[in-house]
Amino acid sequence: MMSDAPLLSVEDLTVTFGRRGQEPFRAVDGVSFQVRPGQTVGLVGESGCGKSVTSLAIMGLLPQRGNTVSGRVDFEGTNLLELSTDDMRDRRGRDIAMVFQDPLSSLNPVVPVGVQVTEVLERHRGMTRKAAMPVAADLLRRVGIPDPDRRIKDYPHQMSGGMRQRALIAIALACAPRLLIADEPTTALDVTIQAQILALLKELVEDTGTALIMITHDLGVVAGLCDEVNVLYGGRIVERGARHPLFRDPRHPYTNGLLGSIPRLDAVGERLTPIPGSVADNLPWDHACAFAPRCSQPIERCTQVTPVLEESFGRALRCHNPVEVPR
Amino acid sequence: MTTPPVDDPDVLVDVRGVKVHFPIKAGVIFDRVIGHVYAVDGVDLQIRRGETYGLVGESGCGKSTLGRAILNLEPPTEGHVVFDGTDIASLKGEELRRKRQDIQMVFQDPLSSLDPRQSVESLLVEGMKAHGLAKDAKEARPRLRELLTAVGLPVQALSKYPHEFSGGQRQRIGIARALSVNPKLIVADEPVSALDVSVQAQVINLLEDLQEQYGLTYLVVAHDLAVVRHISDRIGVMYLGAIAEEAAAVDLYARPLHPYTRALLSAVPIPDPDVEDSREQILLTGDLPSPSNPPTGCRFHTRCPWRQDTRCDDERPQLRVVAIDGVPEGHRVACHWAEQIDSGELRPHEVTPVAVGSDELPPAAVEPELMGPASVTEAL
Ligand SMILES: Nc1ncnc2c1ncn2[C@@H]1O[C@H](COP(=O)(O)OP(=O)(O)OP(=O)(O)O)[C@@H](O)[C@H]1O
Ligand SMILES: Nc1ncnc2c1ncn2[C@@H]1O[C@H](COP(=O)(O)OP(=O)(O)OP(=O)(O)O)[C@@H](O)[C@H]1O
Ligand code: SF4
Ligand SMILES: [Mg+2]
Ligand SMILES: [Mg+2]
Repeated sequence: MMSDAPLLSVEDLTVTFGRRGQEPFRAVDGVSFQVRPGQTVGLVGESGCGKSVTSLAIMGLLPQRGNTVSGRVDFEGTNLLELSTDDMRDRRGRDIAMVFQDPLSSLNPVVPVGVQVTEVLERHRGMTRKAAMPVAADLLRRVGIPDPDRRIKDYPHQMSGGMRQRALIAIALACAPRLLIADEPTTALDVTIQAQILALLKELVEDTGTALIMITHDLGVVAGLCDEVNVLYGGRIVERGARHPLFRDPRHPYTNGLLGSIPRLDAVGERLTPIPGSVADNLPWDHACAFAPRCSQPIERCTQVTPVLEESFGRALRCHNPVEVPR
Repeated sequence: MTTPPVDDPDVLVDVRGVKVHFPIKAGVIFDRVIGHVYAVDGVDLQIRRGETYGLVGESGCGKSTLGRAILNLEPPTEGHVVFDGTDIASLKGEELRRKRQDIQMVFQDPLSSLDPRQSVESLLVEGMKAHGLAKDAKEARPRLRELLTAVGLPVQALSKYPHEFSGGQRQRIGIARALSVNPKLIVADEPVSALDVSVQAQVINLLEDLQEQYGLTYLVVAHDLAVVRHISDRIGVMYLGAIAEEAAAVDLYARPLHPYTRALLSAVPIPDPDVEDSREQILLTGDLPSPSNPPTGCRFHTRCPWRQDTRCDDERPQLRVVAIDGVPEGHRVACHWAEQIDSGELRPHEVTPVAVGSDELPPAAVEPELMGPASVTEAL
């Protein structure tokens, strides 16, 4: 299913939040990446690194006020950032859909789940409510909701967390979008339920050819799911690579450090090597590498010159002194 | 069914047949009890001096409640907790106070367990004063310096307030506070789950170092199996209020015997594409049943791919030693068919998923209880 022409091309995306009485804050800082049809692309990084803001900017869902967005988000040749609110709303749901971390807050609490699925079918596929009902039940069955003909009348609060997330995925899939953005879709779920949802997403991507942007802080999730992985730190992409080479041979000290600090279920009691400090220690990107104060191998340049993202052999890297021998 | 306490001086905590049932009440004027949440429903376990015991399981399985029952913050509905040779429930007044000094707790969310209006110094001195370890801040000074050094914070931290610290640093403060009264046992409930991945490792290493330095015993309660396996010597896997399997951390991973443990282990993503590509997952269908309406027989039978008619539905399996070559006595399982499953004589089968509606209690009814005090000292 994969072809070379990108479905989505994000170029130099920057989102700045104005804070009253404070310096403006660049939550997303010149982010560029592409997603090809049918491809699963990961955005990983720690809390606050800009994953959600990136996805909200792509979806046109950032708050109306208090931020400025620049750069381009080309979806099949159209810059989504230039679309009118109405045109963008039409695209959402039809071409691009999103699944959030907290299904309860993204489902309408006073509307039965089934109706929330049929509404999408009515709005975007011009179906009547009557025609949409069996299609909705089918979608619910497809995402693994047992007894969908009965469950279709349930309200969100009558469902468990895992079921709600399935319902949300069903809504997202209702119009057969070509791109699905999943923002921490399993973070709030138990691990056995997470495994079910991840298997479902994998299957859907394979069956429908939908491209997927998977946003997560869990490198384990990425390792099993994503064709290509973008590692974010402080609002910028610091490393990008295909799944296997990236994990086998992490070149950025942050990627390498992350892998060294996660206890692995299959490794016996080796001592972890944490990344020292916290994001509070970051330097501004303007004249340094933000990660330098926490880096395991900084050189003088790191605190003086901003490293740029350089591409070679399918790997993109933003580092003055990359890791030669991983951990 | 409760067996008498073990007389092994090596055992620091002896949990015997503990149950904690929460009444579910309804009614406008008169509260009527319309049911119970069987949060902990018959647990036996022993924690030995100097070891780390890990309790793992999914949301709502009763891990935290069991941890709190061990501290007697949640008095057991049934059963006993014997700490250092004494039944905690039998203690009163001064004796209880002294015993409680020996058990301290570290919480998931360091911020909500630290009083924002108190400086770090006053937070740390408070517990020491309550237990007569210091009269005032001045007297406590040398000890405070030692504590801060032990948890890796600068001495200047003493005059700061909790909000001035990052999540990892706040967790260090929480740990220093627990340490300040020289406890024997630290119960850590999700000590790293609120922290960023890169910071989690700092706190895990710190806990390991302190254990060595002070000869501490830990009970670590967490949902992250990789974290629990990393820091624990022994692990108890909980499912719906009971222990499904208990083993040394190494054995549990090498040879999980309970179907639930197998599924749980196979569901944990591993940050290695080669492992992920080749792994065989046991995908469970359906949801976790509600602890207010647990399944009969084996609690896992509604989701178990190895369930057998009709014993699994009718008879509740006890935690028992199994007759399998190479499996040590300390490896216990609550499954009727552990031997046959391990040998491959029984094969997994399809399971029809059963949907479980959400019957969450209104958050207001549960949360204040769950927050708990910052230390046992405060509970008094
Ligand atoms: N509406 C907003 N106004 C001001 N700042 C914001 C707003 N939304 C996000 N931010 C800031 O932008 C930065 C990036 O936030 P974002 O939500 O993208 O992080 P994230 O990578 O998704 O983290 P998490 O893993 O915690 O979800 C954070 O520092 C956040 O505080
Ligand atoms: N004070 C209480 N009153 C009523 N029900 C309670 C109370 N405390 C806990 N429960 C219920 O008991 C069950 C077990 O809760 P517990 O907090 O021990 O689970 P847990 O394993 O720690 O879960 P988590 O991983 O979500 O922290 C849950 O169904 C919970 O809602
Ligand atoms: S007792 Fe039966 S239902 Fe329970 S885990 Fe064993 S095989 Fe499965
Ligand atoms: Mg986010
Ligand atoms: Mg808990």
